[in-house]
Amino acid sequence: MKKVTYFPGCSAHGTSEEFDQTVKMVMKTLDVEMEEIPDWNCCGATSAHTMNESLAYALPLRNLVLAERLHNDTMTIPCASCYQRMKVTKAHMDEDPALAGRINSTIVGEGSYEGKVAVKSMLQYCYEDVGLDAIKAKVTSPISGMKLACYYGCLLTRPKAITQFDSPEYPMSMDHIVEALGAKATAFDFKTECCGASFSISDTDVVLQLSGKILEMAKESGAHAIVVACPLCQSNLDMRQPDIEKKYKIKYNLPVFYLTQLMAMAFGYPKDKMMFAKHIIPVDSALAHIGEVTEEPKPAKSKKAVKAESEAE
Amino acid sequence: MITLSYQGKNTFLEAVNTKSGSNVLECYQCGKCVSTCPVSNFMDFPPREIMQMIKLGLKEETQMANSMWFCLTCSACAGRCPREINIPAVMEAVRHIAIEENYKPEDKHVKNIRKFHEIFLDMIKRYGRNYELRMMAEFNIRTRNLFKDMHLAPKALLKGKIPLGVKPLKSTKAIKKMYEMAEKLEKQNK
Repeated sequence: MKKVTYFPGCSAHGTSEEFDQTVKMVMKTLDVEMEEIPDWNCCGATSAHTMNESLAYALPLRNLVLAERLHNDTMTIPCASCYQRMKVTKAHMDEDPALAGRINSTIVGEGSYEGKVAVKSMLQYCYEDVGLDAIKAKVTSPISGMKLACYYGCLLTRPKAITQFDSPEYPMSMDHIVEALGAKATAFDFKTECCGASFSISDTDVVLQLSGKILEMAKESGAHAIVVACPLCQSNLDMRQPDIEKKYKIKYNLPVFYLTQLMAMAFGYPKDKMMFAKHIIPVDSALAHIGEVTEEPKPAKSKKAVKAESEAE
Repeated sequence: MITLSYQGKNTFLEAVNTKSGSNVLECYQCGKCVSTCPVSNFMDFPPREIMQMIKLGLKEETQMANSMWFCLTCSACAGRCPREINIPAVMEAVRHIAIEENYKPEDKHVKNIRKFHEIFLDMIKRYGRNYELRMMAEFNIRTRNLFKDMHLAPKALLKGKIPLGVKPLKSTKAIKKMYEMAEKLEKQNK
C-alpha cells in the first residue's frame, strides 16, 4: 500500500465537497492511504499573489512545513489552484535559500522548511504514481458509451517549468484516464484555455465569456459532458452555465463532472455516493449514455493534436 | 522591426525587470501574447502594448491602465512567447509596484477586482481558510451591489453547492502572526 500526504484545500469543505469525497473513495480503491495535513491553512490562491508577495509564499510554506512532519515523500492536492501555489512556492524556496529563510521567519514556531516533500496534483499522482494499468485493473463498471471533453484549465500544466507535467498546450493524461475507464475522450481544442477563475465573483462577465467559449467548443467536439480536476473550473462551467446560456441565448446542457466522480463510478461505487445532487446542471443526460454502443467513424483530429503529433515526430 | 526604448535611465523598466526576473527589453513586439491572452479584449492596453510602455518608461500610463488587474496569470502567453519573457510575472511586478506606490485606477472593474482580493485575504486572516458564502456576501455589501448573484442563491444553497458555514483553523493566531510578519517583509522589500 502506498502512502501520500493529502492537502484538501478550502473548497473541499465548500463548493467542491464532492471532489474531496470521491478522491477519498478512489484512493482507497487504488490502495493509497491518504494522510491529511493537520490544521492546514488556505494557500492564498490568486488573491495573495496578486496583492502581497510575501504572504503568497508564507501561506503555502506553512502547509509545506506541516507536510514535512508527516514523513511521506509526496503530497497530493485535488485543487489546481492550491497545487499551483504550493508548487510555485516550493520551486522558488528550493532555488533561493535566502528567500526561503526570510519567508520561514513569518511562520513562527512551526519549524523550518527543508524541501523534502514532492508536490503533485491529484491528476498527476493518479497518472504517474498509480498508473493507467492499476486504474484499469480496478474498473468493474466501465462508463463506456460516454463521450467526454477533458478540460484541464490553466494551472494543472502551466507554467511548464514549474509543473513539469504533461503538455501546457494539449495535455492527454486525463484523456488517457477516462479512456481507461471505458469512455471516449473527444478531440477538444480548449483543454487549457482559462475559465476566468476568481472573476466569477469580481467581474462575472469575464467568466461568462471565457467559460462560454469552453462550453461551446466542448459541445462542438461532440461531448456529452465535460470532465475537470479543479473546483473553480467546475463551478464556473457548472454553476455559471445557466447565466452563460441566458447571455448568449443558447442551450448547452453539459454536465461537468470531477474526474474522480467518474473514476468512482467505474470502480463500482453506488451513484448516490457521488453527490450528483450538488450539480447545477443535472448529470443524468450524460449518464444515460453509459452502455451505449457507439460505432462511428473516428472523429477528425483537432488541429492542435495534429500539430503536436507532427512536432513529436 | 525597430522597437523603441527609453533613452536615458528608465527606473520603471529596471524595477519591473528586477521584480519579475524577466528582461522586458527582450520583447520584439510580435504580438503572440495578445492573440493568446483570453482577456486582452477587456484590457485598456493588451500585453504587447504594456511591454512597449514599460520599455518607454511610461510609468503613469501603465499604472493607471486596467491591464495588469485583468491578467489571470493563466500563463498561456508565457508558454508561447518566442523571447521566453515571463509576461504574467511582468504583469504581477507592475501590480505590486502599483500597490506599493498607491496607484489607484478609477476603472470600476479594477476597483471591484481589488476589493475582491482584499476581502478574500481578510477571510483567510480571520478563519485561516476561505469562507465562500461570507466572502460573496461581503463582496456584495462592499461593492454596494446587494443583489449580485442572488438568482443563484436558491439553487446553490438548497443543493448544498455553497455551504453556510466554515471550519476555521485551530491556529488562527499563527495565521494572524504570519500576516503581521509578511506585512513587515513587504515593507522591507520596498
